[in-house]
Amino acid sequence: MNLSLNFQLNFSPFNLVIEQTLSLQGITGVFGHSGSGKSTLLRTIAGLEKTLEGTITLDEVCLINNSESQAKTFVKAEQRQIGLVFQDSRLLPHLNVLENLKFAAKRCQHRRLDIKEIISLTELDSLLQKPIEQLSGGQKQRVALARAILAEPKLLLLDEPLSALDRQAKASLLRLMLKIQHELQLPMLYVSHSVDELQQICDKLLVLSQGEVLGYGGIHEMIHQLNDIQEQTQADDFIHQQTSLSLPIKVLNNGHGLTVLSLNSPLNVHDEIYLPALEEHVAQLNDQTLRCFILARDISISLTEPLNSSIVNHLLTKISAINTKGNKVLVTALFTQEDKEQAFFVNISIFSQQKLALSIGQHVYLQFKASAVRTYLY
Amino acid sequence: MINPDLLALVTTLKMAALTTVILLLIGTPLAWFLAKMQSRFKVIIEAIVALPLVLPPTVLGFYLLIAFSPQYLPGQLWQQTTGQQLAFSFSAIVIGSVLYSMPFVVQPLQKAFEQLGEPLLEAGAMLGAGPIDRFFNIVLPMTKASFITAASLGFAHTVGEFGVILMIGGNIPGETRVLSIALFDHVEAFDYAKAHLLAISLLVGSMVLLASIYLLNRPKITAAKRVKHES
Repeated sequence: MNLSLNFQLNFSPFNLVIEQTLSLQGITGVFGHSGSGKSTLLRTIAGLEKTLEGTITLDEVCLINNSESQAKTFVKAEQRQIGLVFQDSRLLPHLNVLENLKFAAKRCQHRRLDIKEIISLTELDSLLQKPIEQLSGGQKQRVALARAILAEPKLLLLDEPLSALDRQAKASLLRLMLKIQHELQLPMLYVSHSVDELQQICDKLLVLSQGEVLGYGGIHEMIHQLNDIQEQTQADDFIHQQTSLSLPIKVLNNGHGLTVLSLNSPLNVHDEIYLPALEEHVAQLNDQTLRCFILARDISISLTEPLNSSIVNHLLTKISAINTKGNKVLVTALFTQEDKEQAFFVNISIFSQQKLALSIGQHVYLQFKASAVRTYLY
Repeated sequence: MINPDLLALVTTLKMAALTTVILLLIGTPLAWFLAKMQSRFKVIIEAIVALPLVLPPTVLGFYLLIAFSPQYLPGQLWQQTTGQQLAFSFSAIVIGSVLYSMPFVVQPLQKAFEQLGEPLLEAGAMLGAGPIDRFFNIVLPMTKASFITAASLGFAHTVGEFGVILMIGGNIPGETRVLSIALFDHVEAFDYAKAHLLAISLLVGSMVLLASIYLLNRPKITAAKRVKHES
């Protein structure tokens, strides 16, 4: 499914100008700062913003065309077959949970989904008769998600649905979204200002800044691009610089409290990455592949192999870039094996860089603790 | 022969009920329009709607009397269509009451629609609900308390009307002689016992109606407020 965006919209303090075609498979993330235009982008796709100039096409169907040269088209929000889960859930307070779900199901024109199955999928069985005001934030968003699915949209938009939740509720809802995506194959566009959330569930990422597209591509590639953008824009609070990975699980528990991931070939022992042992259900859920990330500040560099260290992860890499900003240095180091490359990003001080006399092309060992390999969901 | 005061009561109730129904039918779209309107001309329409709150009823009655007379267009049109004179008829006091009680219906509804805002309507649209569906299944249940308030205030205010009715309806038993006029008649005739009976009935009736409105609105927070509180 393709979503073709070609429009501009007056949006204080700048215009939202988008020219991008998104290939909607799985979950596509939309990342940007507050006020970058990401929520407005979703509202525009949903049909809730009407004053734009240009066109939006979903799967060859024109949703809006305001171009002067052509006949004008505007498909109303209620006719677009696009779902939207809002940041503040927007459940109907005069209805209970089940009635909210039925509100959506009744208005769906070609019902294929069974309401009971969706209730079970979203684990809402025990909440059905509850009034909305008695639900917690996480429960409300689960109901909002189930309700949006029951309208059976072609595309589901999610506008920072987790922003008001605590970490545990966030992780639980993200897992639920992955489960829903996996079972229903429903394309989703997920807006967030949290790279951690996006990294865990998205396949692709669209990055917005000041109303314009900064980049669009695979999730890991885009997160790595953000590391560089941060260097160039001198923005300190943009994101935590990191290495974003999706790695096959080699051993879930090696008998010493560690899970073993493989960077490349499952047979090769020199490309293993260790992290604290994960629970059993993780492997089943993610097709034996784990999304994880390592913050650039958690990796250190050694010129010799640190064999006598308690730090379990060490990889031989080659430096491909060194960027200095103030007293901080961002080193990009490539791990290469069997024609495959994996970039790692390392923050060190300028003092260390000078002490080690690092240069591009130099071979170095990266080392990081098992606990530095993080996963947001498990 | 029917008791004249009882007849006045029936006329009053008939007038107030009909006025309330007409006000809800006209006032709801008007209140919705005002709640959504962003033009600077909004204040002018709001002022016109609120005018009966500050205008002496006799002023409104005087202009309506002129408009309803057969010499002027509204009165002429009415006479041509119905074959009857508009001034000093039951229809005249209903039209006068609709105009006079308009702010009591429009203002609470407008406030409720403004408080409800767009969020839940947008949520409804995203679930496939069209505008009429959204009105009946989201707006109406969410603003039920305001509709009850608007209808009750409109009804009570119409029952208590005097100046406008006296000007455009006169005092025709069974047609335009309502309770407030009947009370005035008794006072003029120094029949204080009957005047007392009518006055106390109106007083108690109004008290009961107002207390019922407050009772209906008091125990729980209205749905519209709840949404505002949540957001």
